[in-house]
Amino acid sequence: MSTQGTHIPDWLQVPFAGITPAPSQKGQDLFPTGNWRAIRPVYRDKMPPCNNGCGANEKIQGYLDLVKRGKYLDAYALIKEDMPFPSITGRVCYHPCEQACNRGQHDEAISIRAVERFLGDFGQALPRDVVRAGPPNGKKIAVVGSGPAGHSAAYQLARLGYEVTILEKSPKAGGLNRGGIPDWVLPRDVLDREIERLVELGITIKTNTEVGKDVTWDDLKRNYDACVLAVGLTEPNSVRAEGEDKNGVLYGLPFLRDIGMGTSRVTLGPRVVVIGGGNTAIDCAREAFRQGAQEVTMITVEGNAGEMPCVPEDLHDMLEEGVELLHERAMTAVLGNGKVEALQLHPARFSGAINASPIAVDRAAPAERFAADTVIIAVGQHASLKWLPDQFKTERGTIRVDRFGRLGETNVFAAGDIVQAGSGQPLMVVNAVGDGKRVAFNLDKVLSAEPLQPRTIPLDVVTDLGRMNMTYFPHFPRVQQALLPPTSRRRTQDEVIQAFTEEQAVEEANRCFSCGTCNACDNCYLVCPEPCIVRSVRSNGLYKILVDYCKGCRVCIEECPTGCLEGVPELDFDTGVVRMDTAFAITQGLHGRQAEELRRVADQAAKDIEHWR
Amino acid sequence: MATVLGKKKTVRINGCVAAAQAAKYADVDVIAAYPIRPYTATMMALAQMVANGELDAEYIVADSEHSQLSIAHGASSSGARVFTGSSGVGVHFAFELYSPISGSRMPVQMMIADRTLDPPGDFGSEHTDALATRDMGWLMGWSCDAQEAFDNHLMGYRIGEDPRVLLPQMVCQDGFFVSHITSEVDLPDPGQVKEFLPPYKHPYPLDPRHPVSHGPQIMPEQGPPLQLERARAMEGSMPVIEEIHEEFAKIFGRRYDPWIEEFMTDDADVVFFLQGAHAVTGRYAIRHMRERGAKVGLVRLRTFRPYPTDRVREVLSKFKVVGVIETNMGLGSVSSGGSLYAEVCGALYESDRRPLVHSFMAGMGGEAIVLKEFYWMTQKMLEAQKRGKIEKRTHWVGFED
Repeated sequence: MSTQGTHIPDWLQVPFAGITPAPSQKGQDLFPTGNWRAIRPVYRDKMPPCNNGCGANEKIQGYLDLVKRGKYLDAYALIKEDMPFPSITGRVCYHPCEQACNRGQHDEAISIRAVERFLGDFGQALPRDVVRAGPPNGKKIAVVGSGPAGHSAAYQLARLGYEVTILEKSPKAGGLNRGGIPDWVLPRDVLDREIERLVELGITIKTNTEVGKDVTWDDLKRNYDACVLAVGLTEPNSVRAEGEDKNGVLYGLPFLRDIGMGTSRVTLGPRVVVIGGGNTAIDCAREAFRQGAQEVTMITVEGNAGEMPCVPEDLHDMLEEGVELLHERAMTAVLGNGKVEALQLHPARFSGAINASPIAVDRAAPAERFAADTVIIAVGQHASLKWLPDQFKTERGTIRVDRFGRLGETNVFAAGDIVQAGSGQPLMVVNAVGDGKRVAFNLDKVLSAEPLQPRTIPLDVVTDLGRMNMTYFPHFPRVQQALLPPTSRRRTQDEVIQAFTEEQAVEEANRCFSCGTCNACDNCYLVCPEPCIVRSVRSNGLYKILVDYCKGCRVCIEECPTGCLEGVPELDFDTGVVRMDTAFAITQGLHGRQAEELRRVADQAAKDIEHWR
Repeated sequence: MATVLGKKKTVRINGCVAAAQAAKYADVDVIAAYPIRPYTATMMALAQMVANGELDAEYIVADSEHSQLSIAHGASSSGARVFTGSSGVGVHFAFELYSPISGSRMPVQMMIADRTLDPPGDFGSEHTDALATRDMGWLMGWSCDAQEAFDNHLMGYRIGEDPRVLLPQMVCQDGFFVSHITSEVDLPDPGQVKEFLPPYKHPYPLDPRHPVSHGPQIMPEQGPPLQLERARAMEGSMPVIEEIHEEFAKIFGRRYDPWIEEFMTDDADVVFFLQGAHAVTGRYAIRHMRERGAKVGLVRLRTFRPYPTDRVREVLSKFKVVGVIETNMGLGSVSSGGSLYAEVCGALYESDRRPLVHSFMAGMGGEAIVLKEFYWMTQKMLEAQKRGKIEKRTHWVGFED
């Protein structure tokens, strides 16, 4: 018998010959179907670039996915977690999400704003909003200002159960939404409905109530548990030109505010000049046509249209409506006898970042004369904070807050442009909304005596198409929103950009890559060669990998269109047992044992040879 | 549906149908089939049984023998009792699977109706098809008639599925001489089969509820113990084979020596050593020669793997000359004839009374070995006995004077 007298050392014993090789018992328990998996597929949703780019961190991928499936109410509820008024941002937002959208590197970015507007209008049509006020906690908050930041903060605080009072100095609530955005971008009734929604949440809005005049700083601190200052930038910047006091000189934001609030009758001459190249200047130039101007010229210090600090689409629409551009000029004087007759211009250059840079005017060069009847100066605005103690003011004239938006150790917080101006961040409605939201949550933490956590910036933002499987995404053009024809629209207050139909919204949402996030496409479920992916229902979070069967072949990972499936090395799993404890022993397992025996061979051999003699 | 078995009876069937009947009596769960003559007749008989509702089994027709054996492997891994079979080049097309099946210790049963390997296409029996796989870890042996084939199939399952063994079996029969010759076969009483062959139960079947590893990748250091285990199983099957032949005799009343059948070897000087169907002609020739005073006998090997080395040495050492009838090709081998010669001489090497050994290339290509060829071979052996040495190792019978 050849096998007589043979023995197999313990550490090479197999549980059952031929069936299973000899892993350790621990290894066998951990990987009952084998040990050749070096990586384990794991579902890990990452931050889509749109969500990250959004100033309010809306769950954009999430609601696009719901719109795709026709679940509009769910989508609306999801958007309302971060955004109180999607019907407004769906019209006015400068959509940093679309600039961040990965689809832009593939064909064209998703028209996220249009889908948001579709959802916002869907929400406006609901008889009751999906959002409810939180259970009352008995604490009173004052929110000063009803613009985007104040609106957002009040909304989130009401949802948390606070008794919120908004103090608004104007006769109508809305702040910049009402006074800074023309009717043909944001129709009045849409804004009114959103203000109504705030009232429905139990929020009190006191209009014609100005802090510093009707209410003092001390009143605020005395009468409320905490307050949020979202007063915005109300005072227009001057260009410090001679003769700015002449009749016919207007300022951008007050010009729009007078029309929006109906506070004052605006009259323009036939030839209107707008000074400035930002978004407000563009709105002013377009509004000028609607107020009866015959010629509108925009004078900017930038070298060309591409350098203007504005949204390209709005610039395009403005040029379509017939506004002329004159670049590299600064207005140095307003000429005329008591009223505007002409402007004096000098060559100028603008250099540096938005909101914080000097203008170099070449006054030695010969001056130009530019005939005009009205000039609208729209070169930014600044704060008016006479009522605020100096200790809380910055040198720029804004409010000094810590990184949580808090004024020192007080229960007073500030949000929106009044904080962000000069920070280098573009001043946008959506950024103000995000600021209001975060400040509301921070305020809640302070009043609940919980520690404040700094806002963490998500590191794992999917901005690399290489992490996704692009073979699943054929090129498909963006669904365009219809626009009123330029010639007719420039004389009316009708909304220029038209809404998506339901079909268009679904079609556009369908273009979403769902970057880095599971959208329950079922691909992994279908491609797994063992069937070791299971799901009870086709839904994100309900996919499970039966790791007892998974061989680590990576097929599901490679074929995941969105890149939400990742391969994680088995050694990284903190299970107390490393993969190498099984058949692929390196350190502790079989090879380790053998290596130890081999180390002893030298000594043993010498003794054996002795014995053989 | 359940398998239907009738009362004990005697039927006239050929070897192929006997094998199919044995599979039915064993109540196999899965039949993996792919046609090639002469095995096709077995496949056909089983198809009829399944279609008639006599046999409750999963009948899978593969797209090649390689798939056929792969199906058999998978089915057996899941704990099913599996029956498959092939012939000639078909046996070789599935070659890749033989070691994995025995290595994973799956007791698949494969019926082989021998067929000469190509070229050219020849339906006749030559044992080379199965013998080429002889060292792959399968139990292997030849039957010489339909009844023995039936019995060997039943015993094959019982031996292979024994938890001490767990090895696949090739149950071989000569193409045509057994597979297509009709003879009387006793079909047993179902109660006898039930007593002899319990249902198959693998200790670690593939089962989604109890995950286990079958045949995963291993490190080189894990290879030797697995090979040693397989060698142990093969050697360890020998007492089990003897035990089960004994039990079979008790239950069915037919007693076989598991290793070697001797015919008229008392006081014989020269003997034939062979496997399979030619023993039937051989017995007739020997009886005829004995009547004329020649001291000639016949030794038939019944089990080739595991090879009963000691038993072969003991038996053959009694004689002066041994004539190995090959019925297989061993081109360029030890004897430059067939491969059986080396197996015989290897067993005899340690004997202190070594007989002279001839290798007879007879029955090649499925040709019958006729009586006068047995007489001619006997003459050669008697001459060698007289001379005290062989004329040459290998004789090509029918091509020499």
